[in-house]
Amino acid sequence: MQAAWFLAVGGLRRALGIGALLALAGFILGPLATLLVWAFAGAWLFPHLVPEFSLKWWVYVLGNADVGKAIRMSVLSAPTATLLSALICIPAAYAFARLEFPGRRLLLLSFLSANAFPKIGLYVSIATLFYRLNLMDTFAGVVLIQLVNTLLFMIWIPTGTFRGININLEEAARDVGAGPLRTFFQITLPIAMPGLIVAALFAFIAAFDEAQGSLIVGTPNHITMPVLMYALVLSYPQPVGAVFSVLLSLPSVILLLVTQRYLRAGYLAAGYSL
Amino acid sequence: MMSRKPPIRAVCAALSLALIAFVIGAAGPGAAQSPITLNVYINGDTNIFDLWNKTLLPAFTKRYPQYRANFVPLLHGNGSQGVLDKILAAKQANKPTDVDLWETDPTYVTQGAPNGLWVKLTTQLIPNLTRVPPDKLRATDYYSMPYRGSSVVIAYNTAFVKTPPRTLDDLLAWIKANPGKFTYCDPNTGGSGQAFMVAVVYKFAPMAQYTGGAPYDQAKEAAWDPAWQMLKGLEPAMYNNGFHPNGNVAVLQLLAQQNVYIAPVWSDMGTDYLKRGLLPKTVKLEQITPPLFGGDSTVTAPAGSTHLEGTFTLLNWLLTPEAQQMVITSVSGYPGVDWKYMPASVRQQFADVAKPYAPLPDSKYFADMQRLWHERVAGGG
Amino acid sequence: MRGVLGFALVLPPLLVLVFLVILPAISAVITTLTPATGVVTAAPLANYAEVLGTRTLRTDIVFTVIVTLVAVAMVFCLSYPLALYLRFVRTRIAALLGVVFMVPLFVPVVIASFAMITFLVGHGLVSTVLFRLGVERFPRLVYNATGIVLTEVWVSIPFAVLILGAGLQAIDDALIDSARDVGAGPLRTFLAIILPLNATPTMITLTLLFIAIFGSFTIPYLVGGNAPQMLGVTMTNYLTQYLRRTESATMAVIAFIIASVIGIVYVASVSRRERAAP
Repeated sequence: MQAAWFLAVGGLRRALGIGALLALAGFILGPLATLLVWAFAGAWLFPHLVPEFSLKWWVYVLGNADVGKAIRMSVLSAPTATLLSALICIPAAYAFARLEFPGRRLLLLSFLSANAFPKIGLYVSIATLFYRLNLMDTFAGVVLIQLVNTLLFMIWIPTGTFRGININLEEAARDVGAGPLRTFFQITLPIAMPGLIVAALFAFIAAFDEAQGSLIVGTPNHITMPVLMYALVLSYPQPVGAVFSVLLSLPSVILLLVTQRYLRAGYLAAGYSL
Repeated sequence: MMSRKPPIRAVCAALSLALIAFVIGAAGPGAAQSPITLNVYINGDTNIFDLWNKTLLPAFTKRYPQYRANFVPLLHGNGSQGVLDKILAAKQANKPTDVDLWETDPTYVTQGAPNGLWVKLTTQLIPNLTRVPPDKLRATDYYSMPYRGSSVVIAYNTAFVKTPPRTLDDLLAWIKANPGKFTYCDPNTGGSGQAFMVAVVYKFAPMAQYTGGAPYDQAKEAAWDPAWQMLKGLEPAMYNNGFHPNGNVAVLQLLAQQNVYIAPVWSDMGTDYLKRGLLPKTVKLEQITPPLFGGDSTVTAPAGSTHLEGTFTLLNWLLTPEAQQMVITSVSGYPGVDWKYMPASVRQQFADVAKPYAPLPDSKYFADMQRLWHERVAGGG
Repeated sequence: MRGVLGFALVLPPLLVLVFLVILPAISAVITTLTPATGVVTAAPLANYAEVLGTRTLRTDIVFTVIVTLVAVAMVFCLSYPLALYLRFVRTRIAALLGVVFMVPLFVPVVIASFAMITFLVGHGLVSTVLFRLGVERFPRLVYNATGIVLTEVWVSIPFAVLILGAGLQAIDDALIDSARDVGAGPLRTFLAIILPLNATPTMITLTLLFIAIFGSFTIPYLVGGNAPQMLGVTMTNYLTQYLRRTESATMAVIAFIIASVIGIVYVASVSRRERAAP
């Protein structure tokens, strides 16, 4: 394995490199570790290094029925939004990458507005539309508002992925008589899969994290986790905020464990092969 | 697209008809069988969430079993804007809103009033309203009803502050003499910070000009200039060289972590934190002279609600001695009704605590104060 | 024929975009062009002139751009080596670190900000440890630009590493080995082979990072200071606290214009590369 060429210059540099990596890992994990400690702290007053251990805040938090309901709502709505997004965006991304049609570049660029226009100014109009369509306080409404946040990821990343796939491969398949659909499903899609999975992951996170729009559309009966999180994490005393944080991170941790093998370097393969 | 419009409209019309039928049916004599659910939206801090969810609403539904309550807790600021947007959008779409009762800051009530979003409260609708001092109702033009009050006081840590300041001038002198040991929260994020800001403004500009429904005139704001200069001059003496934390809770945390020794806090929250051991026992609360402002927390009835009957029942109940007593015991708040309607024992109990407090500025002046604080004090000048 | 098909495929997401973003955005733009109440004769751009004429708002705009650029640069400088490392080193530690660096992706932003505050705040964990080690003076790491940048970097690293890594994965080992065979050093190999071959993912990463950080609200709201503030926070304050809806919408449009410039640069550069390619 020649691949480690750029580190193999000397023991010292290697050690430096590892040291830097570990420092970075500490920067990533440190805040979460602090949170975990806080979650079990009865009180933690300066300058004590270790807090009094206590479970009293857990009892307090677990008595709150809204949390379970909100987690369930998020766990149902975000994957629905992601799937729906994949369903409508992946064909569109393929069209952007492979087909010529008037206004293609402008339309591709226009999806940027989904993330680039500050949404705070849009909610009254969106909510008015949703009222007219009877989408307020419905599951469909929440999914739709989350879907908006996924569009950019689900269009741009797959477009890049499809564009990166060697067109000769598709043409070869067409030459031996495969139809366009068959070529797409048997040749293009498998090669693009890693890129699409990454796109779906980002789309999921974007849908999962959506708070302000879901607040307007989802209350009072379809409250998602981030909506509750804003109210609970920020207005309770620190240990309670930490307990909520730990609880509300659980679905994400499970997702991390499930998707972890897709995130490994090896699997990510040829998303952008040239 | 054109061809799709009529069906949607037809569906909407049918649904609204159904809804009206439902409402009429519900208000009729047969209503007792199926309880009506009231959606109660509360923007506040956690002590208030607990007050509603664990005390007030269970007691209300026990007293009036024909109602159920669905409690929706939301953060101030962003959360309030979301609810306002939602009610406004319902109005624009000619739809009923699902918000049946809303507790929020007066700012949002004022924002929605020109659009006709709220019910103007009268004693015909809510008989117990007679017990509320009229000037409190005038503050939001009868669009909201106070049901509890509290005031901002000074919290100080006796371990570090041997002789606490008794007046605003004492406090200002103490801040300069002890740099880094005082702060107030960003006025955008909490009333405790607003109170300190407003107290300094009132020091230079007569408060009567900006309170009690005085007509809005931006020119009168020039009188605030010396206040901004003074606050700006205090910045280097603030905690961390001019840092104002985010919200009432964050200030309490700085006190708890002994990062600051004095800070303005809400009387009810400070009492609650001390009770729960979240502040060191050496922290004490006191009111200074002239007093910091206090405010009534108010609830509003959105005009688009389909359960107004229930909303009025709940509002009326909130002003009964039974409900008012709950407010006093669970959040150490002041009653929303006039003190004379409270039992003598309660009046006795609060005799020392509930000192008079300064009034809130009217919403428009208040909004401008907050903006100018950002431009002139935090923004560097 | 293919043109029609292409357009048909693009239509469904486009409809969502038009109804939920573009039309509401247009109505917001119209509000900003309507003069504020009382000033009937004002020019259509009066609101823009007022916003840009307010010194604190100009400061906020510049501040937002600078914070965003610094954060993007930091994410990029940390993520590229990391992506290279994860691509070319196949040890158990590398695999483990690969998972560690993905963690922030799964932490909701509110919680990430909250965690960062408890970690870095004065008398928080880091400062308590330093205090115990005898360090009395502690630099301020949260409630200022540093805090915003650190938190933005924290949440953005996985995104950048993943997109860059996916691109690096596609580069053939043989190409790199042959560069080494003709005597190119690591830096040369990186600049001459890896960087150009990974250009599209790099551009996507930079563009999306810029837009995400530029438009962020939660992180600057929670971790930032009182002033200057990032635009996301300022426009929310104007809307929710100062009763100034029009100014808020005007700032939104200005923010959108700035973000669009970056988007146009991206599309232009991709188009140029496409045309250059055979």
